[in-house]
Amino acid sequence: MNDTFQRQLYHYSALIFLALIALAPIWVMVATSFKDDVLVQDGTPLWFFFHPTLENYEYILTRGKFDRYLTNSIIVGVASTIITLLLGGFCAYALARLDFKGRALMANSTLLVRMVPPAVLAVPAFAFVTLTGVDSDLAVLTFFYTALNLPFAIWLLFGFYKQIPVELEEAAIVDGASPLQVFFKVLFPLMTSGYAVAAIFTFRIAWNEFILALLLTGRTTRTLPVGAAGFITDTGIEWGRIMAMGTLIVIPPLLFTFFAARQIIAGMTAGAVKG
Amino acid sequence: MTVLTQSRKPRFAAETMTPYTFITPAILVILGGLLYPVFMAFYLSFYDWEIGRDLAKAPFMGVDNFVRMVQDPQVWEVLWVTLRFGFWTITIEMTLGVALALLLEKPIRGASFFRTIFILPLMVSPVVVGLIWRYLFDARIGWINYYLGAFFGIEPQVWLGDADLAFFAIVFTDIWQWTPFIFIIVIAGLQALPSEVVEASTIDGANWYQQVFLVKLPMIKSILVIALLMRLIDVFRGLEVMLIMTGGGPGRATELLSLHIYNRAFDTQQLGYASAISVLLILIVFAISTAILTMANPMKSKSDV
Amino acid sequence: MRHVLKKGLLSMGAFAFVTAAAFANPYEKFEGTTIVVSWPALSHFKKAEDLVAEFTEETGIEVEIDALQYLKLRDRQLLEMSKNEGEYDVVSWVVMWKGEYVSKGLLTPLSQFYTSGSLVDPNYDLDDIADAYLQNGGVVGGKKGYMPGKSGAMYGVPFGAETSILAYRKDIFEEQGLKVPETYDELRDVMQKLHEAGIPALTSRGKTGHQITAAWLLHLAPLGGKIFDDQWNPVINSPEAVEAAQVLREVAQTGPKGIPTFGFGEAAAAFLQGEAAMHLDTLKIAAMSRDPKLSKIDGKVGYALHPVGSRCGSETGGFAAGIPANAPNKEAAFLFLQYMTSKAGDQRMVELGGDPVRISTLKNNADKFDEYAVVAEQLPCADPDWRPLIPEWNELNIDVLGQALTEVITTDKPIQPIMDAANEKARAIMEREGYYLWQ
Repeated sequence: MNDTFQRQLYHYSALIFLALIALAPIWVMVATSFKDDVLVQDGTPLWFFFHPTLENYEYILTRGKFDRYLTNSIIVGVASTIITLLLGGFCAYALARLDFKGRALMANSTLLVRMVPPAVLAVPAFAFVTLTGVDSDLAVLTFFYTALNLPFAIWLLFGFYKQIPVELEEAAIVDGASPLQVFFKVLFPLMTSGYAVAAIFTFRIAWNEFILALLLTGRTTRTLPVGAAGFITDTGIEWGRIMAMGTLIVIPPLLFTFFAARQIIAGMTAGAVKG
Repeated sequence: MTVLTQSRKPRFAAETMTPYTFITPAILVILGGLLYPVFMAFYLSFYDWEIGRDLAKAPFMGVDNFVRMVQDPQVWEVLWVTLRFGFWTITIEMTLGVALALLLEKPIRGASFFRTIFILPLMVSPVVVGLIWRYLFDARIGWINYYLGAFFGIEPQVWLGDADLAFFAIVFTDIWQWTPFIFIIVIAGLQALPSEVVEASTIDGANWYQQVFLVKLPMIKSILVIALLMRLIDVFRGLEVMLIMTGGGPGRATELLSLHIYNRAFDTQQLGYASAISVLLILIVFAISTAILTMANPMKSKSDV
Repeated sequence: MRHVLKKGLLSMGAFAFVTAAAFANPYEKFEGTTIVVSWPALSHFKKAEDLVAEFTEETGIEVEIDALQYLKLRDRQLLEMSKNEGEYDVVSWVVMWKGEYVSKGLLTPLSQFYTSGSLVDPNYDLDDIADAYLQNGGVVGGKKGYMPGKSGAMYGVPFGAETSILAYRKDIFEEQGLKVPETYDELRDVMQKLHEAGIPALTSRGKTGHQITAAWLLHLAPLGGKIFDDQWNPVINSPEAVEAAQVLREVAQTGPKGIPTFGFGEAAAAFLQGEAAMHLDTLKIAAMSRDPKLSKIDGKVGYALHPVGSRCGSETGGFAAGIPANAPNKEAAFLFLQYMTSKAGDQRMVELGGDPVRISTLKNNADKFDEYAVVAEQLPCADPDWRPLIPEWNELNIDVLGQALTEVITTDKPIQPIMDAANEKARAIMEREGYYLWQ
């Protein structure tokens, strides 16, 4: 009895210690976002007890074109997520359920293209923009994010399709349903958790991505991370403001984490554990 | 995913076109958004192109860019930085992640809460991660210097301005962000182990160490290798955190291969040469990915062979 | 057919009306136009936002400002300017980009507007603008392509231009009984003395890349060094250049902590937060030191000429603004530039806390601001060949010098071999770009 209690105590203290390490830097950001420049430049760490100011938030919300960046981020995030889920869902369904020539090749190469590094995309994306003159257009960014996310989404959704018993579809097919009807009416309701996982990962990439967004957006189409980096000015970094921006950027992913931790873990471990 | 369902596929009556209508849109997007850029990188690597010039008028260079790359000590330097970075981050992350997973594997109350906390660093945007740690490591106002001074009497260090310290700083940041990833994967693998095997080894009188090193770790070996390779690919893909924290400096001490390509292209504006280095990067990543796929491809079910 | 003709006549009539009205007010024709301005997120330009608002109020021309970190500025501008129709009507460039912009055909020569009587304000007085600023920022194509010369043409007007002066803490110098350095020997001596007294001496940029190169260039010119001789042979391993690197190493050793991570902002912050006794860089520091949001040392700062080595030589840098070749609203853009740099505009910039570009403004405000007299005296020393403003400079600056000098300040290795190696690399680049074909 005593032994278990001791082990539990030791377990929990280890867990709490690790949780603090994971959280501390994020908290530092949040705390700094409520400090004015004098407090920041002073250099004394103040974790909790200082005179908080909303000055930084006021600045970025009123003068920093935050609304524009936010709108752009949401548009790109939502659009690329919806398109990715739709196209990825179709493709994964075909790979999981239908027989066709080239299926094996497709299955193998999907994962290979998932690994293309964003740095490799940067120069060609830039070339694309100068060649076509299509720039500062959220559609271009949405397209690239969709492409970046599709392989992973296909991979993930494929796994979820495989878990659904075939009998359900067979019954529908016997009743004369077309593949599209099977896809939307029979399978879609069963796939919601799979789509939820894929949506979180897709949206997260679109929300957080920086390099392509930096290159492909103009004055009116910048997304939040690009806007945040804009506070690294030549008169030094405006730490309070940039941390306020960072805090606002981090809010949606943190909400996802708290409400959908299980799905996120499912997505992360999908590659390694289920294989 | 049971073996039973894998072997069966529902049959539609004479609908050979349908599969292609399902996959074509996705394939087109992937072709246009991923493969075309990769092809463009190959194409551009034969030209001398800079921003603001008409690409059609860019002089053809033949293999000059590649010759220059092979002879360029800077490329080898950043490749070496990347490998060192990969070695340290992956070794430490794997060790820590596996150790923590083994220690905390026992299901306890509140485990899911803690797991939620642990994945938070993974969800933070790389730009924001770079900013937070740049602030913490700042020589003048950074908290790390402050606490090192307050608790250990260590002189303030110029973390991001000294080659070794800056390298340490980016390794440290990466460990903070990515150890949870290993931890989550390993713990999922451990919990998926058939309990009979573990119990059997306990009955056989295996102690904790024997159980870990002779039973558990060997059984999740493939998971460990895949996690390792996935991290390795990330090492070659990542640049945003370093771009914000150090920009690659001082010198090239923290300039990973991806960041070097970015700096080449957009700092010194040699887009053609940057593309040639991109080709090298593509080849490296391609090799690692192939290794992963031969080890485990969840989409290649056994019935296909 | 008749319909079209009628429409044409109508619009011609409307045009005639507008031109007639334009005599009453040169801006009226452009009322309601929106111009987009691309400039850096620097202090001077932030202060200028108020003047921009006044411009809109007075003229009815709307202005949208796109302020970016100046390292991002060039990529963005190049991308916009190389499209068929760009977004920007006014771009503000660092003087070292001017050659590249012009050689790529991206800018509109201002002569196009100076030939139009309806646009040019007769009271503008171009000659009043400091010649060093105008030549360095605005004129392209003279001697060596970037220096003054007969083949040059004007593409921009200086706005946010600068030279370097020495700013020092009067209180510290008095307390330590130090004399303000006039020569490099005295400067090095003062640095050593301050360091021994436990006071960080001279703040400096030092971040890898163009920042550290800029810091070194500040010492190179007065010490008599150059980047190239007249035949484009790099001479960055000359005794003068090595001495400048040695000075930089001493600066890093005796200055505030963190110089190898400092960009301009961090270096300035160290001085403004009271953590360094001297600042030897752009004159912008003066206006910044008076801004309570940035500075803790207002009122304690004295100014002196950039110390002299074998000659006097201060930086020529900062910004000039011009009009892209693909700008949608060129004429309104010209009116904007003219307004911002007119005598009245220049005076307003001073009142708002920015930096003037006109000699008359410097003279008229000399009583109010200590540094203006120093600046007026410094300007003749501003070296038009401070750095070679050629397209290749970018690579030399970031890749060659930016790397070599980092090695100088972060290691104890002998300097000569480092600079020798850098010189070889520089030579290889010039060779690759065909600079030696005339030899």
